[in-house]
This record gives sequence, C-alpha cells and structure tokens, in this order.
Amino acid sequence: MTANLLPLLLMVPALLLLGVVFLWPWAHYSWLSIHASSLLTGLRAIPNGGANWQRLVQDGRFWQDAFQTLRFAGVSVALELGLGLLTALILHRPSKGRGVLRALVLIPWALPGTVMALGWRWILNDPHGPLNALLQALGGGTYPFLASPATTWWFVVLADVWKTTPFVAIILLAGLQSIPRDLEEALRLEGAGVWSIFRRLQLPLLTPYLGLALLFRLAQAFGVFDLIQILTGGGPAGSTESLASYAYLQAIRFLDFGYSATLMLATFLILLTLSLLWLGGMRWSGVRR
Amino acid sequence: MSSLTSRRRVLQWMLATVPTSSILSAQLARASPSVSAAVAAETVRILMPAPLADATAPAVRLFNRRHSETQIAVTRGPLDTETLSDLASSSLLLGDSPFDLILMDVSWTARYVAAGWLQPLEPLLGQDALAGLVPAAKLGNSFGGHLWRMPLSGDTGLLYWRSDLMPRPPANTSELVAMARELQAQGKVRWGYVWQGRQYEGLSCVMLEVLHAFGGQWWDGQAGRTDLTSPGAVEAAQWLVNLVRTGVSPPGVANFAENDALQLFSSGQVAFLRNWPYAWQLIQEENGPVTGRIGVTPMVGAPGHPGGGTLGTWGLSLLAGSPRPQAAVQAIRWLTGPEVQRELVLSQGYAPTWASLYEDEELKTAHPLLEVQYEGLRTPLVRPLTPLYAQISDVLQRQMNALLTSNLSPEAALERAQRQSDLIVRAAGAGVVP
Amino acid sequence: MMRLLLLCWSLFPLLWQLRTSFLVGDALVGEGGGSPWTLQNYRLVLEGDPSLGRVLLNSAILGLVTTALTLMLAVPCAYGLHQLKGRWQPAISMGLVGAALFPTVLFFLSLLQLARWFGLANHLLALTLPYAGLSLPLAILLLRAAIHDLPPDLEDAARLDGLNPLQRLRWIVTPLLAPAMASTGLLVFLASWNEYPIALTWLSRSDRLTLPAAMGRIASSSVYAIPYGPYAAATVLGSLPLLLVVLIFQRWIISGLTQGAVKG
Repeated sequence: MTANLLPLLLMVPALLLLGVVFLWPWAHYSWLSIHASSLLTGLRAIPNGGANWQRLVQDGRFWQDAFQTLRFAGVSVALELGLGLLTALILHRPSKGRGVLRALVLIPWALPGTVMALGWRWILNDPHGPLNALLQALGGGTYPFLASPATTWWFVVLADVWKTTPFVAIILLAGLQSIPRDLEEALRLEGAGVWSIFRRLQLPLLTPYLGLALLFRLAQAFGVFDLIQILTGGGPAGSTESLASYAYLQAIRFLDFGYSATLMLATFLILLTLSLLWLGGMRWSGVRR
Repeated sequence: MSSLTSRRRVLQWMLATVPTSSILSAQLARASPSVSAAVAAETVRILMPAPLADATAPAVRLFNRRHSETQIAVTRGPLDTETLSDLASSSLLLGDSPFDLILMDVSWTARYVAAGWLQPLEPLLGQDALAGLVPAAKLGNSFGGHLWRMPLSGDTGLLYWRSDLMPRPPANTSELVAMARELQAQGKVRWGYVWQGRQYEGLSCVMLEVLHAFGGQWWDGQAGRTDLTSPGAVEAAQWLVNLVRTGVSPPGVANFAENDALQLFSSGQVAFLRNWPYAWQLIQEENGPVTGRIGVTPMVGAPGHPGGGTLGTWGLSLLAGSPRPQAAVQAIRWLTGPEVQRELVLSQGYAPTWASLYEDEELKTAHPLLEVQYEGLRTPLVRPLTPLYAQISDVLQRQMNALLTSNLSPEAALERAQRQSDLIVRAAGAGVVP
Repeated sequence: MMRLLLLCWSLFPLLWQLRTSFLVGDALVGEGGGSPWTLQNYRLVLEGDPSLGRVLLNSAILGLVTTALTLMLAVPCAYGLHQLKGRWQPAISMGLVGAALFPTVLFFLSLLQLARWFGLANHLLALTLPYAGLSLPLAILLLRAAIHDLPPDLEDAARLDGLNPLQRLRWIVTPLLAPAMASTGLLVFLASWNEYPIALTWLSRSDRLTLPAAMGRIASSSVYAIPYGPYAAATVLGSLPLLLVVLIFQRWIISGLTQGAVKG
C-alpha cells in the first residue's frame, strides 16, 4: 500500500477532475430522472417516482429516435470501415508524396463538425447547391436532399462518412504498417495476388484494429449531435433526430430537465448494452480462433 | 447558499488570476471602444434576433446620443425564433444572464413566466401601460394578473396577391385555390401559392390560421388540451396537404421558411404568398419583377368561416435578475414607444401597436399597407397560452411536416399529434400535479 | 488514379466552399450579371458581430490553455498509473478506455448545472475545466503507453543515483516524453477547437464565442438573401488554422492517433 501511495497521489488531481466530469453526471442524472423538474414545477426538482420512466416507455418519439440513432450509427460506421479500409490500402502502397497525400486525406477529420455541416447544407441546398446543379445539368430535376423524410438521413450519413473515414483509415494504416514487410514479400513470391494477400494476411492481422475502430466510432456515432443540429435540426418530420438532440431539446427548449436526464440515462444504458454485447462477441470469436 | 457563493468566488478569483485571462480582457476592452466608453454609464443589454437588432439600430443610436447616463447595447442573436430562445434559455439557466432585456416572440411568454425568469412590468410601467394599444397587440403580454412584456410590433400573418394578374384578392380559401389553378393553367405563373411548410415555428403559425379558417381550433383552453381531431381540423389539414398534392404549391414548400417563400414569390413565379408585414417593404425596395404589382389582404377563411392571421408580435421583457430595472424600463419605453414604432413602419414595414399610429394621416399615405395591417389585427389568432407551448408546437410541426412530405392521411397525422400532445400534457405534471 | 479519386472525395467539399466564399449572393442563386467575384463575404464575417477574428482568437486561447492544463494533469497521472502496482492499475486503465470512448455530448446537462453552481458561464477559460476533463482519458492512455515504451534502464540508473520518483518524473521521464506530449497535445487541441455542445450551453455573450458556437450565429442576420456566401467565408477562415496545423504537424497527429490504436 505504501508503495502505491506516491503513484496515487500523482494521480489525484487528474482523477478528481475525471470524477467530476465523468462520474458525477451519472449520479446527477439518476437523481434527476426520478424527479419532476420542469416548467410545471417552476424548474424546481420534486420527486415524482417513476413517472419519467413511464413516460419514456410510452414516448413513441424516444423509440423512433433510438431506432434512427442506431440506424445512423450502424450504417455510417459500416461505410466508414469499408471506405477506411480502402483508403488505408491505397495509402499503404509506397509512392512519392505519400506523406502529403496522407495529410490531405486527414483534413476532413480535423475540421470542426459544425463548420463542415454548414458546408454540406450548402452543397445539398435545393435548388441552388452544386449537387442539384449537377442533377439539372444531367437533365434531371432538382432533389430535396434535406427535405424528404425517407432519404434525408442518407445525406447525414454521407456527411459523417466524409468526415470520419480518414480517422478509421489512419488507424487501419497503422495496423497495415505493423505487418512485417517480409511476410507480404514471402506471399508475393509464392505467387499470391493483391486480393489473396489481403484476405490471407492483412485482413486477419487487422482484425483487432478493425474492432477498435468499430467500437470507438460506434460509440461516437451514437452520440451524434453537432452534425444533426446544424445540418437538419432533426428534420424533416423528425426523421433525422438523434437521441442526443432529443435530450438537448428537452432540456434547453422544453426546459424539462427530469425527462432530459432520463433520456440521457436511457441512451447510456443502450450504449452500455451494445458495448458489452460487442465485447462478449469479440471474446467469443477470440476463443474460437 | 453562502457556501455556494464562496465556492463561486474562489473559482472566479482563480480564473481572474490566470494571467492570460487578464490579457485577453484587456484586449477585448480595447477592441470594442463602444463597450468600454459605456462603462461609466449604466448599460442596458438587450438580446434581439438579428433582423430586429438591425432594424432598431438607428433608434438605439439616437437613444445613446440623447442619454449620457443610460446606454443601450444590443446583442444580435440568431434569426430563427426557437434558436434564439435556446440561446436566451441557456443564458438564463446559467444564472448571471448577460442580458437585462430580451426581445421575445409572443409564443414564449408563458414559458418564460413559468420558468420564473421575468419581472412583472406593471410596477415600473404603470397599470395602464397597454392602454393606448390596439386591442390585438394587448394579447399574449399578460399572464396571471401581471404584465410581462411590452410589444414592439403588432404583426399578423397576411396574404400577398399579384395585383397584375387578378382584379381583386380571393374572398375565401376555395377562391384562392381556384384562382391559383386558373393562373397556373394559363401559364401565367408556375406555382399558385407559397407558404411556410418547414418543420419549425412558422409551420405552426400557418397551421393555426388554416385551422381557424375551417372552423377548427388548436388548443381548447377550457379543457387544457389540444383539440386536433375535430372535423374542422381534419378539413384544414386536408386543404393544406392538397395544396402540395395537387400542385398548387411546390413540393419544396415542405422545406420553406419565410425567406424561401418570399424569394420564390418575388421572382414572379407565384400567384399568392403567406408572409408577415415586413415582406411588403422588402418587395417594394427590391425593384424586382413583382415590385408594384402586389396587393395584401388579411388571411381568408373557408367559405362561410371568418379568416384570421396568427399574431406574431415581438416585445421586450425584463429579466428577473436584472440589476438595473429603472434604466431597462427607460429603454423599453423608448424602443416600444410611438416615435420608434413610427420609424419602424416607414423603414421596415413592421405593424405598429399604438392605436394612434393607425390614425396618423401622414403615415397612412407613406405606408399604404397600414390599413390592411389594422384590419388584420381585428381578427388576431393567438397561439396556445400554455407553458408547454414549445412542446406541443413541436409535435404539430413534426406531424404536419410528415403529412406534407408523405402520403399519410390527415386524420392519421392529426390523430398522432393529438395523442402525443395529450401525453406531453399528462406526463409533464405526472406525479406532481394531481 | 485511385489516389486522385481519394483526393477529390476528401477535398471537393472544401474547394466548393472556397469557391462559394468568393461569389456574390446573386451568383449563388443563378441570377444577376456583372462580375460574380467578391471579397464582400469575408469583410462581412470579419466585421460582423461577433467578428470572426475575435472568435478565432477565443478558440486559439482556449485550445492552448486546455492543452497545457490537460498535459499538466495527465503526465503525472500517467506516470503514477505506470508505477501503480496490483489490481488497481488494470481497473483504472479499463475505466479510462471506457471514458475515452464515451460520447461526451451526453454530459452537457450536468456540466451546465456545474457552470451554474460555480458561476462559470461566459468565462472563456472556465471552459478549460470540462475540456481538460473530457480529454484526460485519451491523454493519460497515450502518455502511459509512451512511458511504458521508455527504456527501463534509464529510470533504474536514476533510482540508483538516489533520485526520488518525483525527481525522476521531472528530470528523466518528462523530457523523454516530449514527442508523445506533442502528439497528445495536438489531439487535445483539435478536440477543444472543435467542441460544440458545451460551448453552446456555456457561452452566450457574443464576444466570448468559440468557432463552433459562432458558426450558428455568424451571418444569420439577413432575412432575405441566402447567407451562404458569408457562411462559406466563415468556414474557409475557420478551417485555415486547422489546415495549417494538420499539414505542419501531420506526423505527430498521426503518431498520436496510431499510438492510441496500437496500445489502446
């Protein structure tokens, strides 16, 4: 114990701040979620038993948003992994100016989400944006990219994929570069083609990197907020609203803190369940291998 | 409480001692001379939506020149009503709001009063503060026996029509559609009627008018719940969605806010427009294809029903924590007073709230729209006066926008809106309000 | 060929914003004659309220202070974690991984409450507290991995020379960590520069806004014209500093990211 005293002391300041930022909110939300704290109580917290949770179960909008959030996270992360893998393979091939290319490709990831969400709003503008100009030049009519409940979420996915594919690509590139060159060479001498090298050597060794990128991106995509807020505001007809933007709306616009906290706890629980399932799955597949 | 204040003090002290912060504040002070010059005097800080901040800028400058000990500093907030309210809300939730006054939309009043964020104005302005106003402008300012807001504009929704294409405006909704389709058939306009169909507060304003036009209502004040499943309401929703489905309105109207609708109308491709009074002034100044070719009329009803326009007034409210109520009231008096409103009529086309201005012969000649605005104010439609308004309006916007962009039936959309609104009204008080 | 495609995909939206930012409003909606090119959009956002220059300055100061604070807390913590014996170490490491993955937007309501209690609203530098807190898990993990990679003999030699752990941290470990601190610091800076929900709820005075929070407000003034020209100018000016950071420091940023992947 004495041996651990100094290390623990060194950690205290950071752990304190971490506790305030990461742990206290859950205590606060748990407490709020069993209170009514809204306009009808003059923003004071009054215990209301499980009324918030009852409301959550009946609230079709919560379930719709949960579905939409999952759909967004699943589809965009799948696309990001696919495109990220492709990008990593392209960047992995030795060539002149690879460093510059890598830096240029990384740019979308580094830019603020809010800034580029505005950019996409213009690109997808109906009828003046460049995409609609292109459609018209091709002889078609304009398309309401951001105003059709059935398809708008795809364009939110597009903007997210554009921004975060570089991140996935860089992680996977690190994985590719950790594979010893001689292994690749040996396979090539055996007469294996690009595809065969990829399937037999690179893909299996990349699995942990893919797993990590997947978990990180899924968790982040599940909390999607900036993009939705600026690009669509949750519309049209609520078809792109995410759980985080609903919780934000309940707190800041509707001033219902009890219910907002309940929504955030529920989001957290869904995310936790998913992560545990994923970890279990990883372990299971690890055991099998 | 004292421990709270001391904690706060310690932290603020720590922040103040960080060297960069003092450098930064020194820089900030140098960068904005107007702020530092006003430090000696009492500065009333007002949050306004950007267009109104621009519109009142000359009046604010005049005030600041005339008064040495009281100055007005305006913060330009976002244009969109609800985004502006979000900003105001977060600043109020944080305590120590950096504003003394907020220019509020009429639909916020109940919410802000329920949150305890406002100070009653009648002790400062007097019991008869609203006495000289046109009756419609008095609505939505008082709540629970107190005056919370002093209106600056008396806008209502109006119907714009093309005087070069028709001899007179339509008398009712059926005529409106018939005239629009005829003009479309003749190839004189591409579209018949544009309005605000995006999922935002503007759609609620449109819907309130259409509901009224067909004898329905949104909110049953007696029962304290929404009333969206009446036959009139279904007819209203049917009429609105048919505009899109039959091609009288473009499909894009489901993503239109005021500017989008106005832009299309002023390009000359549309016969009718639903908008606020300010649009008239913009079209007059623009010198575009429809300048000088438009007429304006109050919103029409269905045959046999009266029409009416949604009351969309802006007004100043005093925040509860303001340390300078007297100076703030001085600013309210000036900015909502007849002199400034007169200027706003001439420069922006906003409808005034003072009855006397509607009798001002000089003003009537300079601004012919005044008479129509006065008429519009005779049948004002007030959005539901409940603290839960933001929530039920959000529900209606979502369901109506879904109706406009899908092949849902109006009954189904309204039924869903009614059910969700009921849930909100019930759940908001669950476990607390018996 | 594939490379070209990749570049187009990555850069097209940015280049389009660049083009848009130099166009007059009429040209954007396909009307009007005369020269469509203008610098007006830039003038508008730079002279607007809040001025974009001020906003960028705010973001830069906030980012730098956040980075410094994060490193000041993370380096000792990572060293302590490295020295820690027994069951605590894996438990704390797991917790940090979980925290690093977590979507931080979900904390905004509690952080708002904290800002209210402690009167932190509209203090630009107060934001460094939540920002540093949210960046800590990743920073600690990255730095611990770097400490783990240091040659053990160095510390052993220092121990034999009679240096206590604090002295070893100060004189041996910290200097050797400089490259890892640089790449960690860059990631922290980027995160702070880009953070939106907390800035949105903590800042309401327009002279205190950071870039993400200002994006929603700048150029939203016009009722009539579509303000995409000024928007584009703001996105270009807001992207430029980051572009430079990425191009100059790309090696470190990438090593930071990949360290996280390899060790995490």
